[in-house]
Amino acid sequence: MSAPEHASHKHGPGRYVAVWAALLVFTALTVGLGRIHLAGGWSIVIAMVIATVKASLVVLFFMHMKEHGGASRLVLATTLVFVALLMGLVLLDNATRFPLANPPTEATLPLMPPGPDATLPAAVPARAAH
Amino acid sequence: MSLSPVSIPPPSAEPAPLFNERNYLVAERGWRSWLTTLDHKRIGMIYLVLTLVAFLLGGIYAMVIRVELLTPGPTIIEAVTYNKAFTLHGVIMILLFMIPAIPGIFGNFFIPLMIGARDVAFPRLNLLSVYLYLAGMLIAIFGMIHGGADTGWTFYTPYSTTTITKVWPILLGGFILGMGSIVTGLNFIVTIHTLRAPGITWMKMPLFIWSAYATSVIQVLATPVLGITLLLVAVENVFGFGVFDPARGGDPVLFQHLFWFYSHPAVYIMILPAMGVISEVIQAFSRKNVFGYRAVALSSLGIAFVGFFTWGHHLFTSGQSAVDAGVFGVLTMFVGIFTAIKVFNWTATLYRGSISFQTPFAYVVAFLFFLVFGGMTGIALATVALDVHWQDTYFVVAHFHFIMVGGTITGFLGAIHYWWPKMTGKMYSEKWGLIAATFIFLGFNFTFVPQFLLGNAGMPRRYYSYPERFWPLNVASTAGASVLALGFVIILVYLLLSLKYGKPAGPNPWGSRGYEWQTLSPPPVENFESQPTYPRPPHDYDDANPAKEFH
Amino acid sequence: MSAPGSHVAHHFPDLETQAHAARLGMWLFLATEVLLFAGLFTAYALYRMLYPSAFAGASKLIETSMGALNTVVLITSSLTVALAFHYSKESRSKLAAALLLVTLALGGVFLVVKYLEYSHHFHDGHLPGRFYSYAALQVPGASMFWTVYFLMTGLHGIHVVIGMGVLAWLAVGAWRGSYGGAYSTPLEVGGLYWHLVDLVWIFLFPLLYLI
Repeated sequence: MSAPEHASHKHGPGRYVAVWAALLVFTALTVGLGRIHLAGGWSIVIAMVIATVKASLVVLFFMHMKEHGGASRLVLATTLVFVALLMGLVLLDNATRFPLANPPTEATLPLMPPGPDATLPAAVPARAAH
Repeated sequence: MSLSPVSIPPPSAEPAPLFNERNYLVAERGWRSWLTTLDHKRIGMIYLVLTLVAFLLGGIYAMVIRVELLTPGPTIIEAVTYNKAFTLHGVIMILLFMIPAIPGIFGNFFIPLMIGARDVAFPRLNLLSVYLYLAGMLIAIFGMIHGGADTGWTFYTPYSTTTITKVWPILLGGFILGMGSIVTGLNFIVTIHTLRAPGITWMKMPLFIWSAYATSVIQVLATPVLGITLLLVAVENVFGFGVFDPARGGDPVLFQHLFWFYSHPAVYIMILPAMGVISEVIQAFSRKNVFGYRAVALSSLGIAFVGFFTWGHHLFTSGQSAVDAGVFGVLTMFVGIFTAIKVFNWTATLYRGSISFQTPFAYVVAFLFFLVFGGMTGIALATVALDVHWQDTYFVVAHFHFIMVGGTITGFLGAIHYWWPKMTGKMYSEKWGLIAATFIFLGFNFTFVPQFLLGNAGMPRRYYSYPERFWPLNVASTAGASVLALGFVIILVYLLLSLKYGKPAGPNPWGSRGYEWQTLSPPPVENFESQPTYPRPPHDYDDANPAKEFH
Repeated sequence: MSAPGSHVAHHFPDLETQAHAARLGMWLFLATEVLLFAGLFTAYALYRMLYPSAFAGASKLIETSMGALNTVVLITSSLTVALAFHYSKESRSKLAAALLLVTLALGGVFLVVKYLEYSHHFHDGHLPGRFYSYAALQVPGASMFWTVYFLMTGLHGIHVVIGMGVLAWLAVGAWRGSYGGAYSTPLEVGGLYWHLVDLVWIFLFPLLYLI
């Protein structure tokens, strides 16, 4: 039995309940803020910040990353880097692409050259709608 | 006082036997003992047999492709059969041979031996990985018999979601193989973290361990993305959810992003273990410790890391944005830096070494030649403007065969010739070994150098027929492939013969100072007769008159 | 080395190293799970970027209260799993088993709520790709919301079911007193898996319900 094992044993069940209560508060907060629509992209930013805080609480206390650091911290950090990498470079591609090389959206549909409607989203009944 | 980097307290005064009769192969007998074995060495041997079966199958498809391309028009098979042949050649060679081979066989066998452990961290998971591999293999073979896919191993949408051939069994097989690959990688990482014997610090680990570690990191982090991608294609194929279908708002290029997020790093899953093998063999056969240990060790991690930043170079002509193409093009070139670090350090290791040119070393030389050639063409291909000319031509085919066949398979052959005496306790014919290596080297060049020329002249890959002006070079390529195949057959024959007729190898026929050579050949079930200690780094030839110590 | 009857496998020097290996192995496995979901999160981000109004419109068709309820359910189940491990370390096995059963029940509640939501969507034609038949929202990308919705919640649901299987097995073991004291590692790594299920939902909830 080494030191970290003792450290995890020091606290009683109270800490878990406190974390649980905090998670419930943050859930209520995010639902409440979700009802208010902020201008620009701020709604999603705030929602993601709250989700990240909640996730951090779960990881640190429920999953004991606070006590058992080392290799598992490295694993988590590396994982997050690669998730960010995947999402970041894919989104960068679509965001900087020649618009008509993306699948047709509301913004690009009117720009489409005339032709058969086979490539239009099935959800759109007819081009005439625009 | 022994000069060896490992000191094993001698259990008795007797000299080590030339052939260890109490070895892991005969410790238990019967089929059942093999099917339920938890011994990492036996699992390595099972992988050896299974991956060789896969290699044979993939090789047959390769020869079918080359024979079909012997003439410009139809030669032996129909166009759709040809499409299935190159698909299956790719799937089998990549997913069933190159990704699992070196980690599955040599990783399993030698990682515990090299770090002084009794076994890998999770022996039962290790056995599970064998069965996952077997299941994936059987499902893929089932898919071949029942129609076979004609999409190419890349499964690009929308073709893979609309083709009339049956894609899902191969996708499912790939998914299960991916799970097996993850389990192996996870096991190795935990083993290397937790089971190193006292004395083996991170910076005293053999270089093969470093490359296996880097490989495992890629396996764990990249393979799940392939898993979800294959699942999405299967869902798309069966239900038509429209994830990649522009008619329903989907982006087919997203498929390519997700696919190559795995499949480009997968190239490093294939090549890094081979680089680890080369690092071991080059030290043993030049009797010098590697030049720049730290640089070679850490450049493995560098390749693994940077390898994740490059996948977009497969998408230069797919509608990817120019910004992304530029970013990926530049990032791709960083791989060249880390590879060059390795190549220069290996070359410096050879300098003033006392080189013995035996069969494993012949493959080191071939490896260095092919890797540099393949790597340089890779840098050229990463240049966006040049790639537009070469995309989907035989230039690309030749480039990645230089890395995969010239790199990985040469590394694999180096490994099997280097470690065969330890694994089986027998020596193969050195004369035939060098003859076969010559066949491989010449056959390989005659197969793939003409393909560079064909590609540059504009011959597209995956085409069933071609204009007559491409005929002579295609004949050269097929002829080279035949010589290459003959080389593999020779190797198989003399290795099998050595099992029965080979001389007993003794514990250390090469006089290597790698940690794994300090036990008996073949090793006992418990790996070491008594727990060794590790006073010095592996391959420490510094103080030496190595020739005196061995033989 | 290990005493007779101990839980240390022959290739580990001690229980501490073995527990460390199990934890590290589980974290690596969780990393693979995160990257499995990352593929879907990437698809989500891409299509939300391309079709912002379709996503906002479609998101209004799912009931926030149901998602919030399920969030509370999963967070609470995470608490009970963490407590089960805590009490197992104090060798109160029966209490740990009971807490695991509570967790299982909460997992069941989650699935029932999800089933109610799914049947509502099936009824109204809020479906992916070619199955989409909701006449009131016809803009490009509207069906794509449901594609990512069903893929993400479906994959998450599969994980809930697998996690419940693991927890049931652990509950039986805990009831029989197989774990306790320092040897509570199976409960710990099983719990880690369940917490991951919770973590994924913590992100899915705002992304799907609160646009």
